[in-house]
Amino acid sequence: MGDSQPRRLEELLAREVGLILAIGVLALVQVTLLATPLGFSAPLILVLAICRTLIGVGSAFPDSGVMRGLRWALYGGLALDVFAATPLGSHALAILLASLAVAALTRRLRIEGPILPLLSILVSSLIYELVLALLLQPGPIDWESTARVALLPSMLVAIILTLPTFFMLRWFLRGQL
Amino acid sequence: MRNYLDDDRPIKLRRDRTNTPASGRPFVLAVVLCLVAGALIVLDRQGMITSIRLLAQQVVAPIAQQLTGLRDAMNDLAAAPRSEAGLQAHIQSLEQENSQLKADNLRLEQAGVENEFLRQQLQIQREQPWTLLGAEVTVRPPDAGRRVMTIARGTADGVTVGMAVIGQNPGGPAALVGVIETASAHTAEVLLITDVSSQISARVIHGTIASLGLTQGQWQRGSRLTLGQIDRSTQIAPGDSVVSAGLTGSLHVDLDLAAVPANIPIGSVDTVAASGQVQSAELRPFVDPDQVRYVWVILNQDD
Repeated sequence: MGDSQPRRLEELLAREVGLILAIGVLALVQVTLLATPLGFSAPLILVLAICRTLIGVGSAFPDSGVMRGLRWALYGGLALDVFAATPLGSHALAILLASLAVAALTRRLRIEGPILPLLSILVSSLIYELVLALLLQPGPIDWESTARVALLPSMLVAIILTLPTFFMLRWFLRGQL
Repeated sequence: MRNYLDDDRPIKLRRDRTNTPASGRPFVLAVVLCLVAGALIVLDRQGMITSIRLLAQQVVAPIAQQLTGLRDAMNDLAAAPRSEAGLQAHIQSLEQENSQLKADNLRLEQAGVENEFLRQQLQIQREQPWTLLGAEVTVRPPDAGRRVMTIARGTADGVTVGMAVIGQNPGGPAALVGVIETASAHTAEVLLITDVSSQISARVIHGTIASLGLTQGQWQRGSRLTLGQIDRSTQIAPGDSVVSAGLTGSLHVDLDLAAVPANIPIGSVDTVAASGQVQSAELRPFVDPDQVRYVWVILNQDD
Protein backbone atom coordinates (compact mmCIF):
# COMPACT_ATOMS: atom_id res chain seq x y z
CA MET A 1 0.00 0.00 0.00
CA GLY A 2 2.74 2.38 1.00
CA ASP A 3 4.60 2.32 -2.30
CA SER A 4 1.60 2.45 -4.62
CA GLN A 5 1.86 6.20 -5.19
CA PRO A 6 5.57 6.21 -6.24
CA ARG A 7 4.92 3.27 -8.53
CA ARG A 8 2.05 5.17 -10.13
CA LEU A 9 4.31 8.16 -10.68
CA GLU A 10 7.00 5.95 -12.16
CA GLU A 11 4.48 4.38 -14.50
CA LEU A 12 3.30 7.79 -15.64
CA LEU A 13 6.86 8.97 -16.22
CA ALA A 14 7.80 5.78 -18.07
CA ARG A 15 4.71 6.11 -20.26
CA GLU A 16 5.49 9.74 -21.02
CA VAL A 17 9.12 9.00 -21.89
CA GLY A 18 7.91 6.15 -24.11
CA LEU A 19 5.52 8.54 -25.85
CA ILE A 20 8.29 11.11 -26.39
CA LEU A 21 10.62 8.47 -27.84
CA ALA A 22 7.93 7.07 -30.13
CA ILE A 23 7.02 10.52 -31.44
CA GLY A 24 10.71 11.33 -31.86
CA VAL A 25 11.15 8.22 -33.99
CA LEU A 26 8.13 9.17 -36.10
CA ALA A 27 9.52 12.69 -36.58
CA LEU A 28 12.80 11.15 -37.69
CA VAL A 29 10.91 8.94 -40.12
CA GLN A 30 9.13 12.05 -41.45
CA VAL A 31 12.33 13.98 -42.19
CA THR A 32 14.24 11.03 -43.65
CA LEU A 33 11.96 8.42 -45.22
CA LEU A 34 8.85 10.40 -46.14
CA ALA A 35 10.39 12.82 -48.64
CA THR A 36 8.00 13.73 -51.44
CA PRO A 37 8.85 14.62 -55.05
CA LEU A 38 7.70 18.15 -54.15
CA GLY A 39 10.88 18.77 -52.14
CA PHE A 40 9.52 18.48 -48.60
CA SER A 41 8.50 15.61 -46.42
CA ALA A 42 4.94 14.46 -45.77
CA PRO A 43 3.65 16.18 -42.58
CA LEU A 44 3.19 12.97 -40.60
CA ILE A 45 3.61 14.59 -37.19
CA LEU A 46 1.01 17.28 -37.92
CA VAL A 47 -1.48 14.68 -39.13
CA LEU A 48 -0.82 12.44 -36.12
CA ALA A 49 -1.27 15.28 -33.63
CA ILE A 50 -4.50 16.43 -35.26
CA CYS A 51 -5.89 12.89 -35.48
CA ARG A 52 -4.98 12.28 -31.82
CA THR A 53 -6.76 15.50 -30.86
CA LEU A 54 -9.86 14.50 -32.86
CA ILE A 55 -9.90 11.04 -31.30
CA GLY A 56 -9.54 12.71 -27.90
CA VAL A 57 -12.47 15.04 -28.61
CA GLY A 58 -14.61 12.03 -29.54
CA SER A 59 -13.62 9.91 -26.57
CA ALA A 60 -15.54 9.34 -23.33
CA PHE A 61 -13.29 11.84 -21.57
CA PRO A 62 -12.74 14.64 -24.08
CA ASP A 63 -10.73 16.84 -21.72
CA SER A 64 -7.98 14.33 -21.12
CA GLY A 65 -8.18 13.20 -24.74
CA VAL A 66 -7.58 16.72 -26.05
CA MET A 67 -4.78 17.26 -23.55
CA ARG A 68 -3.09 14.11 -24.83
CA GLY A 69 -3.38 15.46 -28.36
CA LEU A 70 -1.75 18.71 -27.24
CA ARG A 71 1.12 16.79 -25.65
CA TRP A 72 1.63 14.90 -28.91
CA ALA A 73 1.69 18.25 -30.70
CA LEU A 74 4.34 19.68 -28.37
CA TYR A 75 6.62 16.62 -28.43
CA GLY A 76 6.30 16.17 -32.19
CA GLY A 77 6.89 19.85 -32.89
CA LEU A 78 10.00 19.97 -30.72
CA ALA A 79 11.36 16.83 -32.39
CA LEU A 80 10.84 18.39 -35.82
CA ASP A 81 12.62 21.55 -34.64
CA VAL A 82 15.62 19.47 -33.60
CA PHE A 83 15.76 17.59 -36.92
CA ALA A 84 14.95 20.58 -39.12
CA ALA A 85 17.42 23.13 -37.74
CA THR A 86 14.61 25.58 -37.03
CA PRO A 87 14.44 27.63 -33.81
CA LEU A 88 13.32 25.31 -31.03
CA GLY A 89 9.58 25.77 -30.54
CA SER A 90 8.68 26.89 -34.08
CA HIS A 91 7.09 23.67 -35.29
CA ALA A 92 5.77 23.02 -31.78
CA LEU A 93 3.91 26.35 -31.75
CA ALA A 94 2.53 25.79 -35.25
CA ILE A 95 1.20 22.30 -34.46
CA LEU A 96 -0.12 23.38 -31.05
CA LEU A 97 -2.11 26.24 -32.57
CA ALA A 98 -3.45 23.90 -35.26
CA SER A 99 -4.47 21.33 -32.62
CA LEU A 100 -6.04 24.00 -30.45
CA ALA A 101 -8.10 25.29 -33.36
CA VAL A 102 -9.27 21.78 -34.26
CA ALA A 103 -10.21 21.03 -30.62
CA ALA A 104 -12.14 24.29 -30.35
CA LEU A 105 -13.99 23.81 -33.64
CA THR A 106 -14.93 20.16 -33.11
CA ARG A 107 -15.67 20.04 -29.37
CA ARG A 108 -19.43 20.06 -29.92
CA LEU A 109 -19.46 17.85 -33.00
CA ARG A 110 -19.91 14.12 -33.26
CA ILE A 111 -16.80 12.67 -34.89
CA GLU A 112 -17.94 9.94 -37.23
CA GLY A 113 -16.93 9.12 -40.77
CA PRO A 114 -14.16 10.63 -42.85
CA ILE A 115 -15.47 14.16 -43.49
CA LEU A 116 -14.55 15.76 -40.17
CA PRO A 117 -10.95 14.45 -40.10
CA LEU A 118 -10.42 15.69 -43.67
CA LEU A 119 -11.85 19.13 -42.91
CA SER A 120 -9.81 19.31 -39.70
CA ILE A 121 -6.60 18.54 -41.58
CA LEU A 122 -7.45 21.22 -44.15
CA VAL A 123 -7.89 23.84 -41.42
CA SER A 124 -4.90 22.68 -39.39
CA SER A 125 -2.57 22.55 -42.43
CA LEU A 126 -3.56 26.09 -43.24
CA ILE A 127 -2.79 27.28 -39.71
CA TYR A 128 0.44 25.23 -39.56
CA GLU A 129 1.87 26.59 -42.80
CA LEU A 130 0.80 30.18 -42.05
CA VAL A 131 2.39 30.12 -38.61
CA LEU A 132 5.60 28.58 -39.97
CA ALA A 133 5.73 31.15 -42.78
CA LEU A 134 5.34 33.99 -40.28
CA LEU A 135 7.96 32.53 -37.95
CA LEU A 136 10.56 31.37 -40.45
CA GLN A 137 10.34 33.46 -43.62
CA PRO A 138 12.31 36.68 -43.50
CA GLY A 139 10.97 39.96 -44.79
CA PRO A 140 7.62 40.57 -46.45
CA ILE A 141 5.84 37.35 -47.39
CA ASP A 142 4.39 36.89 -50.86
CA TRP A 143 1.24 35.10 -49.73
CA GLU A 144 0.07 34.18 -53.22
CA SER A 145 3.28 32.34 -54.05
CA THR A 146 3.53 30.86 -50.57
CA ALA A 147 0.04 29.46 -51.00
CA ARG A 148 0.92 28.02 -54.41
CA VAL A 149 4.29 26.43 -53.63
CA ALA A 150 3.99 25.62 -49.92
CA LEU A 151 0.45 25.72 -48.60
CA LEU A 152 -1.51 23.86 -51.25
CA PRO A 153 1.02 21.03 -51.86
CA SER A 154 1.43 20.54 -48.13
CA MET A 155 -2.34 20.41 -47.61
CA LEU A 156 -2.70 17.91 -50.44
CA VAL A 157 -0.06 15.59 -49.01
CA ALA A 158 -1.57 15.93 -45.52
CA ILE A 159 -5.03 15.02 -46.82
CA ILE A 160 -3.64 11.90 -48.48
CA LEU A 161 -2.18 10.82 -45.14
CA THR A 162 -5.24 11.68 -43.09
CA LEU A 163 -7.68 8.80 -43.40
CA PRO A 164 -5.20 5.91 -43.09
CA THR A 165 -3.59 7.66 -40.11
CA PHE A 166 -6.90 8.50 -38.43
CA PHE A 167 -8.44 5.05 -38.67
CA MET A 168 -5.19 3.27 -37.82
CA LEU A 169 -4.68 5.51 -34.80
CA ARG A 170 -8.29 5.03 -33.66
CA TRP A 171 -7.86 1.27 -33.92
CA PHE A 172 -4.56 1.47 -32.07
CA LEU A 173 -6.06 3.58 -29.27
CA ARG A 174 -9.35 1.68 -29.07
CA GLY A 175 -8.56 0.61 -25.51
CA GLN A 176 -8.35 4.23 -24.36
CA LEU A 177 -11.56 5.57 -25.96
CA MET B 1 -26.46 11.30 -4.90
CA ARG B 2 -28.36 9.44 -7.58
CA ASN B 3 -30.70 6.71 -6.37
CA TYR B 4 -30.10 3.87 -8.83
CA LEU B 5 -32.94 1.76 -7.41
CA ASP B 6 -35.68 4.31 -8.18
CA ASP B 7 -34.15 6.06 -11.15
CA ASP B 8 -35.14 4.54 -14.53
CA ARG B 9 -32.72 6.58 -16.55
CA PRO B 10 -30.05 4.38 -18.17
CA ILE B 11 -26.71 4.31 -16.47
CA LYS B 12 -24.10 6.08 -18.59
CA LEU B 13 -21.34 3.70 -19.54
CA ARG B 14 -17.71 4.72 -19.58
CA ARG B 15 -17.40 4.41 -23.34
CA ASP B 16 -20.41 6.64 -24.02
CA ARG B 17 -19.53 10.15 -24.89
CA THR B 18 -20.63 12.48 -22.10
CA ASN B 19 -23.06 15.25 -22.93
CA THR B 20 -21.60 17.58 -20.35
CA PRO B 21 -19.78 20.47 -21.94
CA ALA B 22 -16.03 20.13 -21.99
CA SER B 23 -14.20 22.17 -19.38
CA GLY B 24 -11.62 24.82 -20.12
CA ARG B 25 -8.70 22.71 -18.88
CA PRO B 26 -7.46 21.66 -22.33
CA PHE B 27 -7.49 25.26 -23.50
CA VAL B 28 -5.58 26.43 -20.44
CA LEU B 29 -3.03 23.69 -21.12
CA ALA B 30 -2.88 24.73 -24.78
CA VAL B 31 -2.18 28.34 -23.86
CA VAL B 32 0.53 27.25 -21.41
CA LEU B 33 2.17 24.99 -24.00
CA CYS B 34 2.01 27.75 -26.63
CA LEU B 35 3.70 30.11 -24.19
CA VAL B 36 6.38 27.49 -23.54
CA ALA B 37 6.94 27.09 -27.30
CA GLY B 38 7.06 30.88 -27.74
CA ALA B 39 9.59 31.20 -24.93
CA LEU B 40 11.74 28.46 -26.51
CA ILE B 41 11.70 30.32 -29.84
CA VAL B 42 12.85 33.54 -28.17
CA LEU B 43 15.56 31.74 -26.19
CA ASP B 44 16.80 29.90 -29.29
CA ARG B 45 16.90 33.08 -31.35
CA GLN B 46 18.99 34.68 -28.62
CA GLY B 47 21.34 31.67 -28.74
CA MET B 48 20.68 30.61 -25.16
CA ILE B 49 19.50 27.07 -25.98
CA THR B 50 20.92 26.66 -29.47
CA SER B 51 23.73 24.50 -28.14
CA ILE B 52 21.19 22.06 -26.69
CA ARG B 53 19.43 21.79 -30.04
CA LEU B 54 22.74 21.28 -31.85
CA LEU B 55 23.73 18.61 -29.35
CA ALA B 56 20.45 16.78 -29.90
CA GLN B 57 20.96 17.04 -33.66
CA GLN B 58 24.43 15.62 -33.29
CA VAL B 59 23.07 12.63 -31.38
CA VAL B 60 20.48 11.74 -34.01
CA ALA B 61 22.62 12.56 -37.06
CA PRO B 62 24.05 9.02 -37.52
CA ILE B 63 20.57 7.48 -37.34
CA ALA B 64 19.19 10.10 -39.73
CA GLN B 65 22.04 9.39 -42.11
CA GLN B 66 21.28 5.67 -42.08
CA LEU B 67 17.59 6.24 -42.70
CA THR B 68 18.25 8.69 -45.53
CA GLY B 69 20.62 6.16 -47.07
CA LEU B 70 17.89 3.55 -46.79
CA ARG B 71 15.41 5.87 -48.52
CA ASP B 72 17.89 6.63 -51.31
CA ALA B 73 18.53 2.91 -51.76
CA MET B 74 14.80 2.28 -52.04
CA ASN B 75 14.45 5.12 -54.55
CA ASP B 76 17.31 3.67 -56.58
CA LEU B 77 15.69 0.27 -56.51
CA ALA B 78 12.38 1.70 -57.69
CA ALA B 79 13.94 3.79 -60.43
CA ALA B 80 16.46 1.25 -61.68
CA PRO B 81 16.00 0.23 -65.33
CA ARG B 82 15.11 -3.40 -65.85
CA SER B 83 17.82 -3.86 -68.45
CA GLU B 84 21.24 -5.44 -68.59
CA ALA B 85 24.07 -4.19 -66.41
CA GLY B 86 26.15 -3.29 -69.45
CA LEU B 87 23.55 -0.81 -70.64
CA GLN B 88 23.50 0.81 -67.22
CA ALA B 89 27.28 1.11 -67.19
CA HIS B 90 27.19 2.68 -70.66
CA ILE B 91 24.62 5.26 -69.54
CA GLN B 92 26.72 6.12 -66.50
CA SER B 93 29.78 6.51 -68.69
CA LEU B 94 27.90 8.87 -71.05
CA GLU B 95 26.57 10.88 -68.10
CA GLN B 96 30.05 11.29 -66.70
CA GLU B 97 31.40 12.35 -70.09
CA ASN B 98 28.53 14.80 -70.55
CA SER B 99 29.11 16.20 -67.08
CA GLN B 100 32.81 16.61 -67.78
CA LEU B 101 32.17 18.39 -71.09
CA LYS B 102 29.70 20.81 -69.50
CA ALA B 103 32.11 21.56 -66.69
CA ASP B 104 34.93 22.10 -69.21
CA ASN B 105 32.74 24.40 -71.28
CA LEU B 106 31.86 26.48 -68.25
CA ARG B 107 35.48 26.60 -67.18
CA LEU B 108 36.42 27.90 -70.64
CA GLU B 109 33.81 30.68 -70.39
CA GLN B 110 35.18 31.70 -67.02
CA ALA B 111 38.72 31.59 -68.38
CA GLY B 112 37.68 33.93 -71.22
CA VAL B 113 36.35 36.45 -68.71
CA GLU B 114 39.50 36.16 -66.62
CA ASN B 115 41.66 36.85 -69.67
CA GLU B 116 39.66 39.98 -70.39
CA PHE B 117 40.16 41.09 -66.81
CA LEU B 118 43.89 40.49 -67.21
CA ARG B 119 44.08 42.69 -70.30
CA GLN B 120 42.22 45.43 -68.49
CA GLN B 121 44.65 45.15 -65.55
CA LEU B 122 41.77 44.48 -63.16
CA GLN B 123 43.19 41.29 -61.73
CA ILE B 124 45.78 38.66 -62.29
CA GLN B 125 45.04 35.19 -63.49
CA ARG B 126 44.48 32.87 -60.65
CA GLU B 127 44.01 29.22 -60.12
CA GLN B 128 41.08 28.08 -58.06
CA PRO B 129 42.10 24.84 -56.36
CA TRP B 130 39.45 24.55 -53.72
CA THR B 131 40.00 22.31 -50.73
CA LEU B 132 36.85 20.19 -50.64
CA LEU B 133 35.25 18.17 -47.90
CA GLY B 134 32.66 15.59 -48.93
CA ALA B 135 29.48 15.31 -46.86
CA GLU B 136 26.37 13.20 -47.02
CA VAL B 137 22.96 14.85 -46.82
CA THR B 138 21.23 13.48 -43.73
CA VAL B 139 17.99 15.43 -43.38
CA ARG B 140 15.69 17.14 -45.85
CA PRO B 141 13.39 20.08 -45.04
CA PRO B 142 10.42 18.76 -43.05
CA ASP B 143 8.04 21.46 -44.22
CA ALA B 144 7.29 23.24 -47.43
CA GLY B 145 8.18 26.72 -46.23
CA ARG B 146 11.94 26.49 -45.73
CA ARG B 147 14.86 25.35 -47.89
CA VAL B 148 17.57 23.83 -45.72
CA MET B 149 19.33 20.53 -45.38
CA THR B 150 21.56 18.96 -42.77
CA ILE B 151 24.90 17.43 -43.67
CA ALA B 152 27.00 14.97 -41.72
CA ARG B 153 30.02 17.24 -41.25
CA GLY B 154 30.65 19.86 -38.60
CA THR B 155 33.18 22.04 -36.88
CA ALA B 156 35.24 18.97 -35.96
CA ASP B 157 35.89 18.55 -39.70
CA GLY B 158 36.76 22.21 -40.22
CA VAL B 159 33.33 23.39 -41.32
CA THR B 160 32.40 26.93 -40.26
CA VAL B 161 29.45 29.24 -40.85
CA GLY B 162 29.49 30.94 -44.23
CA MET B 163 31.33 28.25 -46.19
CA ALA B 164 30.04 27.47 -49.66
CA VAL B 165 28.53 24.05 -50.35
CA ILE B 166 28.58 22.62 -53.87
CA GLY B 167 26.92 19.61 -55.44
CA GLN B 168 26.67 17.88 -58.77
CA ASN B 169 23.70 16.39 -60.55
CA PRO B 170 24.28 13.57 -63.02
CA GLY B 171 25.13 15.13 -66.36
CA GLY B 172 25.75 18.62 -64.96
CA PRO B 173 28.66 20.69 -63.69
CA ALA B 174 29.58 21.01 -60.04
CA ALA B 175 27.77 24.10 -58.77
CA LEU B 176 26.73 26.03 -55.68
CA VAL B 177 24.00 24.41 -53.58
CA GLY B 178 23.99 26.61 -50.49
CA VAL B 179 25.91 28.13 -47.63
CA ILE B 180 26.60 26.77 -44.14
CA GLU B 181 24.13 28.51 -41.82
CA THR B 182 24.91 26.85 -38.48
CA ALA B 183 27.45 24.23 -37.51
CA SER B 184 27.83 21.91 -34.54
CA ALA B 185 30.66 19.47 -33.90
CA HIS B 186 29.54 16.79 -36.34
CA THR B 187 26.61 18.26 -38.29
CA ALA B 188 25.88 21.48 -40.12
CA GLU B 189 22.79 23.09 -41.63
CA VAL B 190 23.00 24.34 -45.18
CA LEU B 191 20.79 27.23 -46.26
CA LEU B 192 19.98 26.34 -49.86
CA ILE B 193 20.43 28.96 -52.58
CA THR B 194 16.76 28.60 -53.46
CA ASP B 195 15.57 29.78 -50.01
CA VAL B 196 14.18 33.29 -50.01
CA SER B 197 16.65 34.40 -47.33
CA SER B 198 19.68 33.30 -49.39
CA GLN B 199 21.53 36.14 -51.14
CA ILE B 200 24.76 35.56 -53.06
CA SER B 201 26.72 38.10 -55.11
CA ALA B 202 27.16 36.86 -58.66
CA ARG B 203 28.55 37.63 -62.10
CA VAL B 204 26.57 36.96 -65.25
CA ILE B 205 28.83 36.06 -68.15
CA HIS B 206 27.74 37.39 -71.55
CA GLY B 207 30.43 36.79 -74.16
CA THR B 208 33.57 38.29 -72.67
CA ILE B 209 31.72 40.64 -70.33
CA ALA B 210 30.96 39.74 -66.74
CA SER B 211 28.50 41.97 -64.88
CA LEU B 212 27.75 42.03 -61.19
CA GLY B 213 24.37 41.15 -59.74
CA LEU B 214 22.74 39.62 -56.70
CA THR B 215 21.13 36.17 -56.74
CA GLN B 216 18.30 35.53 -54.34
CA GLY B 217 16.33 32.39 -53.64
CA GLN B 218 12.72 32.51 -54.78
CA TRP B 219 11.36 29.11 -53.88
CA GLN B 220 8.78 30.49 -51.42
CA ARG B 221 7.78 33.02 -54.10
CA GLY B 222 7.02 30.51 -56.77
CA SER B 223 10.24 30.12 -58.72
CA ARG B 224 13.80 29.13 -57.88
CA LEU B 225 16.41 31.87 -58.28
CA THR B 226 16.51 35.45 -59.49
CA LEU B 227 19.45 37.59 -60.43
CA GLY B 228 18.75 41.21 -59.54
CA GLN B 229 20.44 44.61 -59.28
CA ILE B 230 21.95 44.42 -62.79
CA ASP B 231 22.43 47.69 -64.61
CA ARG B 232 19.97 48.04 -67.48
CA SER B 233 22.75 48.90 -69.92
CA THR B 234 24.29 45.46 -69.33
CA GLN B 235 23.54 42.91 -72.01
CA ILE B 236 22.33 39.58 -70.72
CA ALA B 237 20.47 36.85 -72.56
CA PRO B 238 18.88 33.48 -71.84
CA GLY B 239 21.56 30.81 -71.59
CA ASP B 240 24.21 33.10 -70.07
CA SER B 241 26.08 31.45 -67.21
CA VAL B 242 26.06 32.91 -63.70
CA VAL B 243 28.91 32.32 -61.25
CA SER B 244 29.54 33.58 -57.72
CA ALA B 245 31.35 36.91 -57.48
CA GLY B 246 32.99 36.40 -54.12
CA LEU B 247 31.76 39.75 -52.85
CA THR B 248 28.94 38.52 -50.66
CA GLY B 249 30.75 39.45 -47.47
CA SER B 250 30.22 43.12 -48.30
CA LEU B 251 26.43 42.77 -48.59
CA HIS B 252 25.86 43.08 -44.83
CA VAL B 253 23.26 40.32 -44.76
CA ASP B 254 22.62 38.34 -41.59
CA LEU B 255 24.89 35.46 -42.47
CA ASP B 256 28.65 35.79 -42.58
CA LEU B 257 29.00 34.80 -46.20
CA ALA B 258 32.51 36.07 -46.80
CA ALA B 259 33.73 32.48 -47.21
CA VAL B 260 31.91 32.00 -50.54
CA PRO B 261 34.72 32.06 -53.13
CA ALA B 262 34.41 33.59 -56.58
CA ASN B 263 33.69 31.68 -59.79
CA ILE B 264 31.53 28.92 -58.36
CA PRO B 265 28.94 28.07 -61.04
CA ILE B 266 25.41 28.90 -59.88
CA GLY B 267 23.06 28.60 -62.85
CA SER B 268 22.06 29.87 -66.25
CA VAL B 269 19.75 32.71 -67.24
CA ASP B 270 16.27 31.55 -68.13
CA THR B 271 14.35 34.78 -68.75
CA VAL B 272 15.23 38.48 -68.52
CA ALA B 273 12.97 41.32 -67.34
CA ALA B 274 13.69 45.07 -67.15
CA SER B 275 12.22 47.51 -64.65
CA GLY B 276 13.33 51.14 -64.31
CA GLN B 277 17.09 51.52 -64.36
CA VAL B 278 17.75 47.91 -63.46
CA GLN B 279 16.97 44.53 -64.89
CA SER B 280 16.57 41.10 -63.37
CA ALA B 281 16.66 37.54 -64.60
CA GLU B 282 15.13 34.24 -63.62
CA LEU B 283 17.87 31.64 -63.16
CA ARG B 284 17.87 27.89 -63.60
CA PRO B 285 20.35 26.46 -61.05
CA PHE B 286 22.93 24.04 -62.45
CA VAL B 287 22.30 21.76 -59.49
CA ASP B 288 18.84 21.04 -58.15
CA PRO B 289 19.33 21.22 -54.36
CA ASP B 290 16.39 18.86 -53.87
CA GLN B 291 18.14 16.10 -55.80
CA VAL B 292 21.63 16.12 -54.31
CA ARG B 293 22.55 13.34 -51.93
CA TYR B 294 26.23 14.12 -51.54
CA VAL B 295 27.79 17.58 -51.39
CA TRP B 296 31.21 19.12 -50.92
CA VAL B 297 32.03 21.97 -48.55
CA ILE B 298 34.66 24.39 -49.88
CA LEU B 299 36.97 24.64 -46.88
CA ASN B 300 39.32 27.21 -48.38
CA GLN B 301 40.72 28.56 -51.59
CA ASP B 302 44.42 28.95 -52.35
CA ASP B 303 44.90 32.42 -53.80
